[in-house]
Amino acid sequence: MKYISELQAVLGDEKLLTDPAELYVYGADWSPRTSDEIHPPDVVVQPKTTLDVQRIVEVAYANGIPVTAGGGLTGMLGGAVSLYGGIYIDTTTMNSIIEIDPKNQTVRVQAGATLQEVNDAVNPYGLWLPHQPESKWVSTVGAAIACDNDSTFGVRYGKILNCLLSVEIVTGSGEILELGHRKAHFTSSGYKLKDLMAGSEGTLGVVTEATLKLEPIPETRIVEMLVFHRMGSAVDYLSRLLRAGVGIEAAHINCKRRLKFYTHAYTAKFGGEAEIPAWAEALLAIAFAGDEKMANAQRDHAIAIAAEFDAELVKEREIVDSWWASKYTLEFEPFKQKWPDVQKAKKFGAADPGVPVGRLEEFYHKFVEVAEKHKLEIIGMNAYLEHPNSIGFSLSCAVFVDYRSADEIRRFRLFHDELSKLAIEFDGTMSTFMSDTHQKAPYLELEHGRSLVYMREIKRLFDPKGIMNPGKKFPREEG
Amino acid sequence: MTTADLEEFEDELETCFGTSCGFCERGCPVYQALKVRTLSMKGRNRTMLGLLKKRFEITPSVVQAAFECTLCGNCDRWCALKNTDHTRAFREYLLKHGVEPMKEHSSLLASVKNYGNPWFQPRSARNKWLKGQDIPKAAPGKQEVLFFAGCTSAVMKPLVPSLVASAKLLRRANVNFAVMGQDEPCCGSTLLRVGQTEAFEMLEKENFDKFEALGVKKIVTACPGCYTTLRKSAESLGSEIEIVHITQELAELVKGGDLKVKRSSEKMTYHDPCHLGRLGGILDEPREIVGAASDFIEMPNHGYESRCCGAGAGLQSAFPKLSRELASKKIEEAKSTGATTLVTCCPFCETQLRTVPGMRVVDLMELLLKATEDSNKP
Repeated sequence: MKYISELQAVLGDEKLLTDPAELYVYGADWSPRTSDEIHPPDVVVQPKTTLDVQRIVEVAYANGIPVTAGGGLTGMLGGAVSLYGGIYIDTTTMNSIIEIDPKNQTVRVQAGATLQEVNDAVNPYGLWLPHQPESKWVSTVGAAIACDNDSTFGVRYGKILNCLLSVEIVTGSGEILELGHRKAHFTSSGYKLKDLMAGSEGTLGVVTEATLKLEPIPETRIVEMLVFHRMGSAVDYLSRLLRAGVGIEAAHINCKRRLKFYTHAYTAKFGGEAEIPAWAEALLAIAFAGDEKMANAQRDHAIAIAAEFDAELVKEREIVDSWWASKYTLEFEPFKQKWPDVQKAKKFGAADPGVPVGRLEEFYHKFVEVAEKHKLEIIGMNAYLEHPNSIGFSLSCAVFVDYRSADEIRRFRLFHDELSKLAIEFDGTMSTFMSDTHQKAPYLELEHGRSLVYMREIKRLFDPKGIMNPGKKFPREEG
Repeated sequence: MTTADLEEFEDELETCFGTSCGFCERGCPVYQALKVRTLSMKGRNRTMLGLLKKRFEITPSVVQAAFECTLCGNCDRWCALKNTDHTRAFREYLLKHGVEPMKEHSSLLASVKNYGNPWFQPRSARNKWLKGQDIPKAAPGKQEVLFFAGCTSAVMKPLVPSLVASAKLLRRANVNFAVMGQDEPCCGSTLLRVGQTEAFEMLEKENFDKFEALGVKKIVTACPGCYTTLRKSAESLGSEIEIVHITQELAELVKGGDLKVKRSSEKMTYHDPCHLGRLGGILDEPREIVGAASDFIEMPNHGYESRCCGAGAGLQSAFPKLSRELASKKIEEAKSTGATTLVTCCPFCETQLRTVPGMRVVDLMELLLKATEDSNKP
């Protein structure tokens, strides 16, 4: 192909992968699909600098070739998969930490640095990047921005956009743009184009660098787990904690079923399942952080208030610790990491809707109903609080999917679509951490109505030829 | 049967494809140096799956994916799948499907066949370290414990003091042992790592027949590669001979005070050889010895997460540039602790790490011997 020799000419051979085996491994992400459903790009490029990315996009623009940028390829819905072939930009070769500014508590990084690499670099300064999805070892800064994925500590720090001060992109015509407000935490000036990048899935441009706000690492963290009679009571309790002025670092409401999935470490250690009282329908995992005295005081006050809601503390520390290992510390028994171990027969698949805070329980019952209708084994629901100091949550409505069965994959997608659409009926949103990808593209108008026209115009402005990750958000022909 | 064919792992490869967590990438020394996904375990598993599903032919990148790996096992530490076994079976699969052994590996294999070691040294070279040591040669029914020196330390002059130290320490510890000298066979580790499974299976059978004929009850190995290989063979062949590494034999004596040790004030760190630590599960014993003999400090990545020195599984011979890069990274990590000496106990690691200037690399047995001798001084 002509454009591949043009890429060779501007980048050099060593930054290009064209062997069919190499292309194959870049052809799928984490999402449920059979191993026959794979979309290898036509060429993988491994840039080192923003200028390399610009050269790549210029060649793609001149030749009308699709460009898909990816990081760790752990997306849960195919966001960084090259549906239409073309060029795959492997950003993991751009993982430099450019500047650590401890005084202003910021870091400037290349987009391919993993969230863990950023934290490894800033940790010696007593600072951290609190945007922490479970995939943090592999998930890159650029991918976190493009996907707008979830974070364990959202209730205190928000998600990646709350950490993002400025972002450099290469647009679909090859222009390098800096969007944001340098090292200031916010701005009232201009349109907030930087915010467009969160969840943009590389459809507007390729993220190449970012300036991120860091936070001081708290001295102590205390994690507890409470059980409630109902999921709704857990929401009311959290609202009560905020009224009481309790600072919460992390809060996750799990339905009872979900506990089994998150306590793999417990099962690996003790052989049996972690048990909670039979009456409990919901579990709240909650973390408090700060100076030891303060964290303890917050914890004690929160636990005292729990009595008002007939909630009970989970006293078996191993249950709490194994849940937290799965969620954050990743301290698994050596050679027994939970992901492959629990997924030998079926894998985790989810819908990611958001619903109003008062309708969690109602939506939970719908989730169970829809999963059962499509004959999918239920893992359970987790509501992650992901908005700073509020009870706003994202929902992970998870089922097991037999990824060796095309029929079950099809039923999973029906389940995903049905729940996404149902969330609109609930006055909610279709997506809170997986983005739209090609999966939600056909029915995005349900969510956005007339504003979708404006979105298409924005896309056109950034990507005049519709080459940036085509098929995502909008079907390709309309891109 | 020690090993399984690649086809037998297809279900595991599907599981990796279904999971795709990529947790294996963070600690993979080769992927982190080269950032090409076919060289990460997730990518390698996908490559094998694609090959079995005939999505592509055997290409140069497929061969590279199979062989550009140290089999250090870091991917296994973060997984529930048997990744290093997949890789070994991948190598074997390619050789069975017409891929010529890498020329660097072919010569190693010829040497193992002709000389019983991969170093082109005559069998008699295994006697050199024994000169003046007065250690009995193993004979049927005459000893229960066999000290298995391994080929690398025996034939490479800079490594000989480590074997001498081991023998002296065993004697101080009142262990009645014998050695096989030039009759000591190759453990087969090299054959196994580069995919020569059939040859390996013949060799392990012969070896254990010899050990059984000598009436050996326990084999103490000096080399971590021999340790994991012989241990696996003993398990798969159903032999009752106990296989231990010398650190296991001696650490208990240090801990119990039977071997008196003088502690130096020098700051030292310890490199876990992949075969001893991650693959062999022996993490505490070497630390007990280094901790007793020095002001011990850990590296950031240690124990199960220790990073490979880059010498293993044929990487040093076939991919020398990458191998050197990994060694340099390891030395940098060791230096970052403030230690002035890096202690380890594997002939490959020692040889490899000594090629990087700027840090003293000391063998664990030599360190222990000196510390016990110092304890006798007034």
